[in-house]
Amino acid sequence: MGWTSRDARSFGIGLAYLAPSLVLFAAFVFIPLAQSIYLSFFNTRSTGAITTFAGLDHYLELLTSPAFRSGLVATTLFAAYTVPIGIALGLVLAVLLNQRLRAINVFRTMMSSTIAISAAVGALIWLLLLNPSLGLLNYILSLVGVRGPEWLIQPTTAIIAVSLTTIWLTLGTNIIVLLAGLQGVPEEIYEAARLDGARGVRMFTRITVPMVSPSLFFLLVVDTIAVLQAFTQIHLLTRGGPVDATRVLVYSIYQDAFQNFQFGYASAQAVILLVLVMALTLVQFRFVERRVHYQ
Amino acid sequence: MSIRTVLTYALLAVASIVVAFPLLLALSYSFMSESEIATFPPPLLTTRPTLDNYAGVLDTIPIGRYLLNSFVVSTAVVFGQLITASLAAYAFSFLAFRGRQLLFFVFLSTLMIPWEATIIPNYITIRTIGWLDTYQGLAVPFMATAFGTFLLRQAFLQIPRELWDAARIDGASSLRFFVSTVIPLSRPILGTVAIYGFLSTYNQYFWPLLITNQTLMRTTQVGIAQLRFEETLRFGLVMAGVIMVAVPTLALLVLGQRQLVRGLTAGAVKG
Amino acid sequence: MEGKMRRLATLALAFTMVSAACGGLTPGGGSDSSALAPAKDVAPAATITWWHAMSGVNGDALNKIVAGFNSSQSKIKVETVFQGNYDDLLAKLNTAIASNAAPALVQVYDIGQRYMYDTAQVVPMQAFIDRDKFNTNDFEPAVINYYKYQDKLQSMPFNASTPMLYYNKDAFKEAGLDASKPPVTFTEIAEAAKKLTKKDASGATVRFGFGPSIYGWLFEQLMATSGALYADNGNGRDNRATKVVYNSAAGKAILDWWKAGVDGGYFFNPGIDNDGAANAFNAQKTAMYIESTARLRGHITTIAGKFELGTGLYPRPDSKPKEGGNIIGGASLYIMKSRPPAEQQAAWEFVKYAMTPAVQAQWQSDTGYYPIVKAAYDQGPSKEWSTKYPQFLTAITAIRESPQNRMTNGAVLGVMPQARQRTQKMIESVLLGQATSQVALDAAVTEMNAAIDKYNKANP
Repeated sequence: MGWTSRDARSFGIGLAYLAPSLVLFAAFVFIPLAQSIYLSFFNTRSTGAITTFAGLDHYLELLTSPAFRSGLVATTLFAAYTVPIGIALGLVLAVLLNQRLRAINVFRTMMSSTIAISAAVGALIWLLLLNPSLGLLNYILSLVGVRGPEWLIQPTTAIIAVSLTTIWLTLGTNIIVLLAGLQGVPEEIYEAARLDGARGVRMFTRITVPMVSPSLFFLLVVDTIAVLQAFTQIHLLTRGGPVDATRVLVYSIYQDAFQNFQFGYASAQAVILLVLVMALTLVQFRFVERRVHYQ
Repeated sequence: MSIRTVLTYALLAVASIVVAFPLLLALSYSFMSESEIATFPPPLLTTRPTLDNYAGVLDTIPIGRYLLNSFVVSTAVVFGQLITASLAAYAFSFLAFRGRQLLFFVFLSTLMIPWEATIIPNYITIRTIGWLDTYQGLAVPFMATAFGTFLLRQAFLQIPRELWDAARIDGASSLRFFVSTVIPLSRPILGTVAIYGFLSTYNQYFWPLLITNQTLMRTTQVGIAQLRFEETLRFGLVMAGVIMVAVPTLALLVLGQRQLVRGLTAGAVKG
Repeated sequence: MEGKMRRLATLALAFTMVSAACGGLTPGGGSDSSALAPAKDVAPAATITWWHAMSGVNGDALNKIVAGFNSSQSKIKVETVFQGNYDDLLAKLNTAIASNAAPALVQVYDIGQRYMYDTAQVVPMQAFIDRDKFNTNDFEPAVINYYKYQDKLQSMPFNASTPMLYYNKDAFKEAGLDASKPPVTFTEIAEAAKKLTKKDASGATVRFGFGPSIYGWLFEQLMATSGALYADNGNGRDNRATKVVYNSAAGKAILDWWKAGVDGGYFFNPGIDNDGAANAFNAQKTAMYIESTARLRGHITTIAGKFELGTGLYPRPDSKPKEGGNIIGGASLYIMKSRPPAEQQAAWEFVKYAMTPAVQAQWQSDTGYYPIVKAAYDQGPSKEWSTKYPQFLTAITAIRESPQNRMTNGAVLGVMPQARQRTQKMIESVLLGQATSQVALDAAVTEMNAAIDKYNKANP
């Protein structure tokens, strides 16, 4: 497989177009990443300066650490609560919004409004909603006869509270993407299905879901990555507690790097997180994408 | 109107209010006095609206300057991303060269790298080139976007190949075809990428917090967090800040919502 | 083209690697080796930067001091930058130190003391004090003792506070308790809390007797009022600490008392949220809680008119151990070594100004922190403040009556922020019934000892 001069020429032209992006990625993503991987094999002073070679020590310590294991559990729970529910809810609302009605854009804008809200702003609002003495959420629940839990105090509800906030934050994006997906489905397909007698739920499961499966798959991949990297809402709502219930991997990296100043150890966790994200994405492409129906 | 239409509207209204409820609540609380917020049961609407919280925000932080900073940085990032991403997407869709697939995967892999893994070295880089407390420092690291490149590539692939063949027969260079044909045909998706880039930059928190040491270079999200550090958490004040910071992006959404959907509909997220 | 790219990439890689390597600093533990040039030989810099963590009312008060200093002379201008809360500030400082971007003057919280020492990036305050024969005889002993390490002041105490008991006098009267005699011992507080707890018809609690947040600092203070050590080697003051030792009978008694109160339904658990605990007290959802004196000013404004606010001594075991007392909290000022001598000199000029009685008295009345200098109490603003808010006198009494020993001097640990997080998790696990008190204490101690060991090895 030798390179002809034509190959080299077209490669050069291609690279020229890619160069601006590649230079930026190299400078701000790949080289820093390489440094972090390098750092994960060393011990550091609290100022970050490298002291001694640690080899695989940090990784071995992580494998045996109960805190790290509970962090993986929290991460898994968080993703399992957030991603499927967020996408399902987004799909139902997008279908509802995908109608030719007067003033439909008002509803579309309201429901997709969270796309414009930052995690910091969203978390501050939810902090108010969930507040034990002033919070409206439990008051509303009490109106329908439900005694609301102490959301951020109990481990089981704290992870739910953080997930609720995250579902809300991603709902806007999910709705927009799925609405776009729905609008790309040709009307004839629905017509044909209707002639075959498909209605309601059957129409939804047999026609709508398969037709927007590319969008659903896209969201599955993107939302999973986003959830695995979510930080701000956890920082503002629970700081990883109670008893580590919401100390997801990203948060323990933050604590070890920016509060405990153990950069080597934190870097090792970042590397594990990266491997995890890549593996999950590959699995999704390998096993889920098969069921996606591309036009 | 048929019963069905009425029901649909009712359903839409209820769902919209539920989804937007947290935001509406923030709006309502921003006009409430602290002692009214502290009453139980929590009130939904104020009986004595006050602008004190907004005045309090203006007193506590230079919010105007923060908004300006966020605008400058987000706009710079948007233009940077449009240039880098459209060039790259063009190479990935119209140009044939060896290693194209591999490079495309390299691009996509950047989406999977957690920011914690890169943030400390990046801080050192920015500080070494003297970009702490500058707009460059806030904007340049984000001027390349794998997500935007991906969206644009998908859209470019929808452009008929015949145009490309015709242009080449006419002897147009690849750059000329890019500027005179591809870009004008892709305005909707470029708009989508721009809106998305603006929103995500505007909403950044940790990076601006890390690299700005001067009060005057801070951005809106950092400013909001500052309001939370009052010795007792004052929800009215925080909510006023939240509204002031969220209004520009919400306005952008109102204007750009159709654009976002249309841009994405053009087959952008299809295989 | 390809070759050029590769050269460029290699160059970029080398560049970043080098800068990262340069970011690392020269090692070395002790930081008092620096010999200062005589004061007359150093002209102070025209401008210096001061990083601080004071916001709201306290931030305004801080800027008032700086404005006063800037207009009191024409040579030096101090510029302040708010860097978020104490944790955020330390995180930023750490990144800044690693890349030589630290400012001349920094405010760091109490528990950052050992960390600052270990960075070897500080010019000890004692060096300036000794050189200029600056008189510290009139300084509050409890404060000065906290910030002395091996008899030398590393930093200048700036804002000092202690925790105390806040209580709702109206609720006391309603429950038939003596509103002029707040409970002090664990049993007294539990008994009072039971009487103060109120339920509605459905059995839901509308008011809890006592509602402390799960805050590591409060646990540290309870250990101190119990007269017990938090860490070995004299709380890390005789020698660098190698272990934490709070899994003692004193630690267990604290957790058992807390747990019994929460289980009995007369203690409220607001979680780790200090603001939540304060909000609950303001909203009369709790009748007593413990917090820093620094919150007094905020409470007075928010409560205004709703109920009468009382303050009392910090809780302690029933035996009221003689060697027990409160530790000073708050923050102190560090002059950074990486800045040129002229800037250090300018920072020192400002520190001296901040320690004058008049400034200290103003600071006290604007915030609720103690004056560091005792002469400040004779100044107008301080006197007015104490007359207006007699609740504050409780705090002064608490600190004046605390015996000065290793227990009340407080622990000095490089990993103190982490230790605090860990004790919070420990308290949570007990309150939630996930572990018994002794098991939770032992687990926390084992984990922290490993962390201390690691820290001491990494920072020789």
